[in-house]
Amino acid sequence: MTATETVRADLDIYRFDPERDRAPRYQRYTLDLAPHTPVLTALLKIRNEVDPSLSLRYSCRSAICGSCAMVINSKSRLACRTPIGPEIAAHGRIVVDPMRNQPILRDLVVDMAPFWGRYRKLEPHLIEDPSKPMPVGATTSMTPEEVARFKETPRCIACGACYSACPAVEHDPEFPGPMALAKLYRFVVDPRDGATKQRLVQIQPNGLWLCLRCHLCTEACPKDVRPSERIIDLKELAIAEQGGTEHGSRHVLGFKRNIEDRGVLNELKLVRDTYSPFEMLAQIPYGLKLARKKPETLKSPKAIEGQSEVKKLYEILDREEGE
Amino acid sequence: MKLAYYPGCVAQESGKELDKATRWVCRKLGIELAEFPTFSCCGSGFIDEANPVLNTALNARNLAIAEKAGLDILTICSTCTGMLKLANVRLKDPAVRTKVDGALAQIGVQYQGKTQVTHLLDVLVTRIGAEALAKRVTRPLKGLNVGAFYGCHLLRPQDELASESAEEPHQFEDLIAALGATPVLYRGRVMCCGFPILFVKEATANRIAAAQIEDAKAHGAHAMATPCPLCHISLDSFQPKVEKSVGHKLDMPIFHLPQIVGLALGATPEELGLPRHLVSTDAALARIGTVAVPA
Repeated sequence: MTATETVRADLDIYRFDPERDRAPRYQRYTLDLAPHTPVLTALLKIRNEVDPSLSLRYSCRSAICGSCAMVINSKSRLACRTPIGPEIAAHGRIVVDPMRNQPILRDLVVDMAPFWGRYRKLEPHLIEDPSKPMPVGATTSMTPEEVARFKETPRCIACGACYSACPAVEHDPEFPGPMALAKLYRFVVDPRDGATKQRLVQIQPNGLWLCLRCHLCTEACPKDVRPSERIIDLKELAIAEQGGTEHGSRHVLGFKRNIEDRGVLNELKLVRDTYSPFEMLAQIPYGLKLARKKPETLKSPKAIEGQSEVKKLYEILDREEGE
Repeated sequence: MKLAYYPGCVAQESGKELDKATRWVCRKLGIELAEFPTFSCCGSGFIDEANPVLNTALNARNLAIAEKAGLDILTICSTCTGMLKLANVRLKDPAVRTKVDGALAQIGVQYQGKTQVTHLLDVLVTRIGAEALAKRVTRPLKGLNVGAFYGCHLLRPQDELASESAEEPHQFEDLIAALGATPVLYRGRVMCCGFPILFVKEATANRIAAAQIEDAKAHGAHAMATPCPLCHISLDSFQPKVEKSVGHKLDMPIFHLPQIVGLALGATPEELGLPRHLVSTDAALARIGTVAVPA
């Protein structure tokens, strides 16, 4: 029998007890562990054998419950699913912080109330169509194609890693968050849902269009729900439902027209298509400041050669899509 | 080395200094740029939100143009890179491919999927190599701490783009080190610049840009550098507004990627279009012993 190979793991863990500590600190614990040991197992070993005061949230230890999301070496992820070996190899140590964008209660435990609050506002549950009430006890069946439209969203375990990673959540209190929108998508495409249209209308102001398309949520998600892609799907549905009623949708439609016209972006026209005349007026002083350094800002570019080909692609694919 | 040059919209318009600096650097390094005035916009992620198939078709056309000339595409924008690469990935889906092929056939264009998309950063670090580049440096950027700012679409989604790492890339830092400058590591380097919502909710976009600039500053950066002209708009062109939103000066010079390369290879600030920036680069230039003449 060969001896199990171990690595020396330095864990720098965020410690803060608001009742006792004046300021947060990092506490180092050093353990010798097999490289495949999950960070969660290391944390529990510390709590059980070294320091019982360490607070953390966990339950299933197998990436099903979604309780142990935290920030490990600056990435939001599940501690039970992050082996220590690659972390030590890449960083020389393991820095463990509580999730971002949520108030810290103690050590690695955050208050998830804001996360759930922004989520509940979207009513992410089935809303029956009042004109088609389902008889009590009745069951409905869906075709495999209908189920496939949910994409990966039913896999979500509400761990909050996407919320922790999201810059729109971090910098805008109105943004519902990646999980909330991915879950909303799931109901928007559910053939049993009777509130699809209202959902697509309500979610636009200060919601959908604040997504930055940065895909940090998709990288953070331990279940490959790919929230950023579901948000893009929602934007497409919202435009199909309502057209350009918001800055976000006007910007998208303006951009699309812009390329249809010239094949290349006309920056000034895009801004004009997005803003109201009043907003446009308000932008003039800054626009002139920009144009002093960058005169092209106020000029229209020439159309590309072969613009007729681009126009033709629009004729074939955009009309078809619209039908 | 010959590549199909895909400048993207911004570098031909308000970000012309990026095009200027790219041409200077490529000339210096013997990278031949084949030009195609038939290239269209990549859709910038916006057309994709209204009509993903149309967006894929537009980029299939772009890819096919380079393919016909037997060339790989050189991009100088993170978003263009992301959108063009994503098209190559999506066109592997037979349903998408059939739809797009059908439309392309009507304009006499054929896409075969042979053209690869490569950003200037990748060309410099992988094809030329950081060590080979270091040997060409005539003005080492010694004493200048530079925070790389990658731009989302160069990195994510990682699986599709096959980028080096979604959250811990190091190509740009390797390049900065090769130029003699000191790379600054900070969390914001892989974060979003705020650009996609600049015209949706400017205040939030400005706060996001501020966070990344302040993060770079807190870690000792004298300047930031980006491979994406959209990030440059957010971080440089709007920095005066960003400063207003946070209520204090930031004074963070923001270089386009080829501008810092050009500086290290001996270009003058004018040859790289530095006087066009909204935030003066003088303080950074003073550290490496050259100062821009005001525009």
